[in-house]
Amino acid sequence: MKIYLPYSKKKRYLTGIDWIIHVLNYMTLKETGAGFMSQVVFELQGKADAIKTESTLSAFIKNYPVLNGYTKRDFNLAPYWKIPTRKKEKISFETINITDSLKNGASFDDVLTSLEKGINRPFKNRKEHVAFCLITKGEKSYLAMTFDHLVFDARNAETFLDIFQEDFKGKKYDGSLNLKEPAHLSMWMEKFKAGQRVNRAFLKMADKIPPRVLPLSSGRKGFKFKILTFSKKESEAIAENAFSQAGYLMLMPYALSASVSAMHEIFAGRGDSGNYVIPVSIDTRKKEEVRRQFFFSNTSFFIFKVEAGLAARFPELLNSVKEQMYSQVKADLPGDICRASLLMRIAPPSILGSLLKIYLKGQIASFSFSYVGETAYESPYFMDNKIINMFHMPRVPVPPGIGIFFQKSKENLNVILSHLDGMLTDEESKKILSLLKSRLGVE
Amino acid sequence: MEIDKEKKMDKETINIEETLIKEVAAILSIDKGSVGPEVPLHELGLDSLGFVELLVVIEKTFRIRLMDSGLTRNDFKTIRSLASKIRL
Repeated sequence: MKIYLPYSKKKRYLTGIDWIIHVLNYMTLKETGAGFMSQVVFELQGKADAIKTESTLSAFIKNYPVLNGYTKRDFNLAPYWKIPTRKKEKISFETINITDSLKNGASFDDVLTSLEKGINRPFKNRKEHVAFCLITKGEKSYLAMTFDHLVFDARNAETFLDIFQEDFKGKKYDGSLNLKEPAHLSMWMEKFKAGQRVNRAFLKMADKIPPRVLPLSSGRKGFKFKILTFSKKESEAIAENAFSQAGYLMLMPYALSASVSAMHEIFAGRGDSGNYVIPVSIDTRKKEEVRRQFFFSNTSFFIFKVEAGLAARFPELLNSVKEQMYSQVKADLPGDICRASLLMRIAPPSILGSLLKIYLKGQIASFSFSYVGETAYESPYFMDNKIINMFHMPRVPVPPGIGIFFQKSKENLNVILSHLDGMLTDEESKKILSLLKSRLGVE
Repeated sequence: MEIDKEKKMDKETINIEETLIKEVAAILSIDKGSVGPEVPLHELGLDSLGFVELLVVIEKTFRIRLMDSGLTRNDFKTIRSLASKIRL
């Protein structure tokens, strides 16, 4: 019988946030047939060499058997990630060549359809957590890495690919990767006290009725996406508007308020009642840790509540969002969520998924939001091709099955609307982005 | 008398600046030496979350709540301008 030491190279204990990601993965898989995955996409100048890209990625990924791991429970009941000794499986790498459409304006739509197919395809088995797709269209290529949130958060995926690019250019990674994580089976009082504070915060969020949500479409459906890329000039104008309306460096509260305001038009049109509850994921790592801890999730959350009446009154909405952010930083709610979630690891995802819905009367949130600031991918190239843009296509946990994501690629700000197919009509999606542009002041 | 007061105020400002430099360096996990008092905070890499963390530290250290003060760029852009705002 093999006995693994707590810091065995073959196991990595899961944090409470990792476990919450497992729960969201379970719920999303149950509802849609595919898990809580995301996709990072590079829009590249020129035709990328498919054979070279596949072989180089494949050789690099073999160095990281953690990408073929899976979840188990230890004798002490703490869940852990079982890391195989070496990576055996071939990477999934699909190539698609899109011939020019006769409809000039629809060219990116063809690419988006292929990207949507990629992100909605479940992984082959429980040991596969990344897959690649290379799309060529005319003089452009799109390299997409679909990744499981069980192994990467958005910024980690960018860091991983940045390290790949350095490796491709001959610079070897310094090897300071930290995969160690203790079992966190001590300091119980600290965790229970954090749990009490999180419990109080969630009770404060709860009303007598559930928050506003859009009904989930029936049947196992995939996600649809709309992507809005702002030019350098527009991105700078948005930052200026944020600084003048919300205050210096208040981009995240400004973007969230603009998103609530735009979403409200659609939610209100559906005639639902209740307030909005919006979880916002944040990076909890110090800058120095980014290149040492690029596997698993290093996130936590803010939870914002917006009264429906405020959603149409932008200055008041903005003040409310800023105030909530300030209070939650001051109370260290994201830290408490990290500590308290360690207690939840004992519950299987099926049970924990139901427990998470108790606070908000059967719901989890109205929609998801995140603002990833500066990209962790530093090179202007992906392999030999110059990067035009880089964006993410996240599948939102279901429920709520809808979310808005802001993310910067060099000088361009991207906004991605992601929703379960059937939740919004194409007109409604376009209307949300149009309202958002207007609210951000770049019509 | 007036000169003494000015000298005292300068010393106070320097102390505030030093505290702010230490806090910004801690938030960004960078060396204190790389935090210049005249460098705009966004150029140092501070984002919304880091900035709010700094405002919370200011409230805890100096007992001044600045979140409701309009957060104008002129007052908050650099450690020097922020220190002047706190001193006022």
